[in-house]
Amino acid sequence: MEDFMSMLLPMLEGAKMTVLLFLIAIVLSIPLGFLLTLAVRSSFKPLSWFAQAYIYVMRGTPLLLQLLIICFGLPMIPVIGEYLVLDRFVAACLGFVLNYAAYFAEIFRGGLLAIDKGQYEAAQVLGLNKFQTTTRIILPQMFRIALPSVANESVTLVKDTALLYAVAVPELLHYAQTVVNRDFTIVPFLVAAVLYLIITLVLTAFFKWLERRFKFE
Amino acid sequence: MALIDVQNLKKSFGPLEVLKDISFQVNKNDVIAVIGPSGSGKSTMLRSLVNLETIDGGTVKIDGEYLIEQGKYPSTQQIKTITGKMGMVFQHFNLFPHLSVRDNLEVAPKMLKTEAPKAIRARANDLLQKVGLADKADAYPANLSGGQKQRVAIARALMLNPQILLFDEPTSALDPELTGEVLKVMKDLAEEHMTMIVVTHEMGFAKEVANKVMFMADGEVVEAGEPKTFFENPQHPRTQDFLRKNLK
Repeated sequence: MEDFMSMLLPMLEGAKMTVLLFLIAIVLSIPLGFLLTLAVRSSFKPLSWFAQAYIYVMRGTPLLLQLLIICFGLPMIPVIGEYLVLDRFVAACLGFVLNYAAYFAEIFRGGLLAIDKGQYEAAQVLGLNKFQTTTRIILPQMFRIALPSVANESVTLVKDTALLYAVAVPELLHYAQTVVNRDFTIVPFLVAAVLYLIITLVLTAFFKWLERRFKFE
Repeated sequence: MALIDVQNLKKSFGPLEVLKDISFQVNKNDVIAVIGPSGSGKSTMLRSLVNLETIDGGTVKIDGEYLIEQGKYPSTQQIKTITGKMGMVFQHFNLFPHLSVRDNLEVAPKMLKTEAPKAIRARANDLLQKVGLADKADAYPANLSGGQKQRVAIARALMLNPQILLFDEPTSALDPELTGEVLKVMKDLAEEHMTMIVVTHEMGFAKEVANKVMFMADGEVVEAGEPKTFFENPQHPRTQDFLRKNLK
C-alpha cells in the first residue's frame, strides 16, 4: 500500500499539471480559434490570407515539432534567441494554444457553413443589422453545431498533453515513466491510463451535459 | 396612391434574365396572388421588394418612397426604413431554431427597441393567440409541425406591424393536410384588410381570398386581373395552358 501511494502521489502531481495545461489551452485556444474563423471570413483579404496560411501551417506540421521549436528552437535563433527562452511550461502552453486554435477555427468555420442562408435572410427582413444578426442569431447556432466537434477535439487535447513528456515538463506520463524506471513494473503505466480515462470521462460528461442543455427542443 | 408601385423591374443572374420589365401596382388592402410555373421569377420579384435580391433596373416605390429609382438604391439606412414597412414569410419558415417560439417573435422588436418590453410581450401573446399557438410559446421550433412553424413565422412577421406582408410560397413545404391551418390564418389576415402579396401554388387561395391574380411566366407578367375573370376567362394562351394543367 505504501508502495502504491509513493507511486500514486507523484503521478497525481503530474495529473494536476496535465489538467492545468488542458484548462489553459482550451480556455485560450477556443476564443483565439473563433477570432481566426472571423479573420478567415474577413473581407479584408490580407487578414484572410494570413489566417488561412496560419491554419495551414499549424495543421500541416506535427504538434510535437511545434513544441520542440518553441522550447528548444527559438532560443537558438541568433541575436534575439536569448530573449526567447521561455519557461518550459509557458512555452508548452503557448504551443498548445497556437496549435489548437487552428483546429478550433476550422471547427467553427464548419459550424458557420452549416447555417442555412434563410437564417440571415429572416434576420435581415426583421430589420436586424449585421452585428445583431451575428451575435444573436448566427453565433449561438454556430456554437451549438460545433459542440460535438469541440468535445471531440477536447478529448484529443487531453491526450496530446502527453507530448509534454518530450519537452521535459513533468506531467502525468513523465511521472509514470519515472516510476516504471525506478520500480521496473508496468503498474504506473496502467495507473496513468486510468487517470487519463478519468479525466476524459469527466470531460465527456461535461460536454454531454452542454449538448443536452443546448438541445433547443 | 398605390402602396407598392413597381415599374420596369429588371434582373439577370449572369446571362439569364429572370425579370424582364415587370410592372405592377399594389393598393392598400389588396391581396394579390402571384402564380406561375417555377422559374418564372415570382420569388425573385417578391424578394427584390425587401432587398433580398438586388435588381439591375427599374423603379420600386413603397408607400411613396423610392426603394429603387431607375435602378439606383438609396442609402442603407433608407433601404432599411423602407423595407421595414414589409414583413416576409418564407417557404421554409426560417424560424430561429435556438430560440423558443416566444423569443422568435420578440427577438427583433426587442433588439430594435420598437416598443417597451412589456408591450412587446403583450403583443407576442396576442399574436400567438391569433394564430392559435398560445400554448406553444415556450416550445422550440424543432418540436412544432410544419403548419405550426409557418403560423409562428407569420406571427413573427406581424410583430413589427408591417403595412404589407409578403408570402413566398408559404404552403409549398407543408404536407397537404397542414396547408389548411396556414391558409386559414392568411385568410383571417385578408379579412382584416392586411395588404398582402402571396406567391403561391394554391389555386383555391388565389380564387377565394385574393382580389387580384397575377400570372407570371419567363420573367414577365403575362396576365393579371380579378380572380373571377382570370380563372373563368383567361385571355393569354400561356395562362390558359397553365390553368389547364393546374386546375382539375
